[in-house]
Amino acid sequence: MFQNFRLTMAWLHTWFGLVLGFVLMVVFFFGALSVFDREIDRWSVPQSRFAPQPMPSFDQLLRPAFERMQPSKESVDLMRDRVDGPMPDRFDTVRSWGAYTTHRDPVLQVFASYEVPKARDPEETLFTLHIMDPRNGALLPDDHLRLGSQFFFPLHYSLNLNWKELGTWIVGFAGLIMLAALFSGVVMHRKIFREFFTFRRHKSTQRSALDLHNLSGVVALPFHFFFAFTGLVIFASIYFPVAHTQLNPLHEQSEQMEAHATGLPHERAGVAAPLASVDAMMAAAQARWAAKGMAGEIGFLNIQHVGDANSYVSIYRAGTDRVALTGEGMHFKASTGELLREDPPRTAVDSVTEFLTGLHLQHFRHWLLRWLYVVGGLLGCVCIATGFIFFVEKRKKQHAKAGGQGSRVVDALALGTVTGMLIATAAMLLINRLLPSELPGKGDWERAGFYGVWLLTLAHAFWRSAPVALARHNPAWREQCWAIAALAPAAVLANWVSTGDHLAKTLAVSYWPVAGVDLCLLACAAVAAWAALKLSPQTTPLVLAATAEMTHG
Amino acid sequence: MRIVLNQYPNNEAPHTAMSTLPATASALHLLSRIAAAVLGGYAFCWGFIVLSMALLFAAGMSFHDSEHLSGMLGLLLYLAVFCWAFAARSLPKVWLVLAGGGAAMAAAASLVQSALV
Repeated sequence: MFQNFRLTMAWLHTWFGLVLGFVLMVVFFFGALSVFDREIDRWSVPQSRFAPQPMPSFDQLLRPAFERMQPSKESVDLMRDRVDGPMPDRFDTVRSWGAYTTHRDPVLQVFASYEVPKARDPEETLFTLHIMDPRNGALLPDDHLRLGSQFFFPLHYSLNLNWKELGTWIVGFAGLIMLAALFSGVVMHRKIFREFFTFRRHKSTQRSALDLHNLSGVVALPFHFFFAFTGLVIFASIYFPVAHTQLNPLHEQSEQMEAHATGLPHERAGVAAPLASVDAMMAAAQARWAAKGMAGEIGFLNIQHVGDANSYVSIYRAGTDRVALTGEGMHFKASTGELLREDPPRTAVDSVTEFLTGLHLQHFRHWLLRWLYVVGGLLGCVCIATGFIFFVEKRKKQHAKAGGQGSRVVDALALGTVTGMLIATAAMLLINRLLPSELPGKGDWERAGFYGVWLLTLAHAFWRSAPVALARHNPAWREQCWAIAALAPAAVLANWVSTGDHLAKTLAVSYWPVAGVDLCLLACAAVAAWAALKLSPQTTPLVLAATAEMTHG
Repeated sequence: MRIVLNQYPNNEAPHTAMSTLPATASALHLLSRIAAAVLGGYAFCWGFIVLSMALLFAAGMSFHDSEHLSGMLGLLLYLAVFCWAFAARSLPKVWLVLAGGGAAMAAAASLVQSALV
């Protein structure tokens, strides 16, 4: 397309990086927050501020809760179009019950799936998911939004755009562009080693922005590549749904063969059967892991074809002490508790897949690595943000001369995704602590607050953007930094007032989930205030001089 | 890749030229390039993944292992063909290789599947 390969790669890097950079900024920032999703959950749902718990008794606690569960009204309504005739009042054929927990979870995720009678596609399934207090079996209210794992984490991989998985596809495309941007970035610059150590912060904004862009891209290059790639691998079956489309016949055949080989029934028998003690099966599974020298907690429990003679219970070991997620499955016949199958050691391909996805999702215990992930994610944000700034600085003088508005628009959008996103996040945390916990639909108000504040910051960025068209800085950068510096400590204060868990208290008892979020908010405020101060002195005299010139001239 | 890169002097500054498109790259050409890279690249990788899965399964690998391995390789291939679609000189050739190659591999995968099922 251009004279040579490097120019082509430079074009690719600039324009795809610019367009998808706004998405990537969201992905990197909320990915960095998701590293501590469970801790943010504790901060935002004070009822769950207690120590992590192991998998509770199934017979005593989980079973009665599962038997009371039904699909949510919303999911039933969404299914209505795909069913002939009216929906039943109760869904009695349970495909599966499941429970999942990690070493960081005080509360347990419990989920159930149901067959849909008269569905046009007999494979249709209704899902429901709840959060349980494993100390007493009580379900937490559904409208208590767990900001970390229920909002920031899905924002990271789906932008919370759930219509036809649109958000996941956009993020996937952005992931591909991230890989292409890394490759083309390396091709463009090549002086990789020198850029490791180059940051001329006293040169022009354009020069130092490019230095920082290259430095943050190169220093964390393996991190960026790995996370973009493994993120795509995790969702590969969504992006290339070959097993349920073109290769569906092969898939069905292999499922049948697998069910035959493993002895785990693929279908229901259609004959009702009781459920034996699952607690006994859990104890048996743990005893077998211990006998193999790998004693561990239960991370995932699943009961397939509930209530049927073909029902079986699968118990998986938590991946707390290694990269791969849950594994070492033990499968028991649900009606008798007889061991049907013990998963064989992983194949080579499975080990690689589990390692890649496990390293991305990080459910194992390693707090130093957890912090390095945050640093890597934030370096990604720095890389993208400085890319925007470089784009604007390089062009705004030309645009000012030619009367173009391009750099003005890009600068305002960059504001929205850098400072605006931080303001919206801090505002959401503040709103979470200000709204009373018994407010119906509390989570919806928090979501609305997040998006509303974000739109306001974008409007503010555009409203204040006129100076960029005159090749000057947008004062909104400074103003929004001050907004962060005010909002973040306000959230810390609101947490203190609403729960009594102030820093002196949480630090004294080393309750890091809450102390950590508070400290990060304060650190964020300090950096924002410092940035705001840095941004003020140079611009004011220039603007004043320009105004004076215009009035006197 | 190295050989291609080393044909050009080291002091070339790509930043100075990248914002201006050469006259040959019309808007239509550009759109077609982007479509070739995104859609053609997707079709090519789809074809690669289904064919690789069908062949690996036929060779005795489990369905999900072949799915994961082919998926990983297919994603890396997507990155490669995406960049190549912009770097290649002839746009018709890009379309022919990506869309044609993708369709051919997908058809071959279906043939392998029908032989197996």
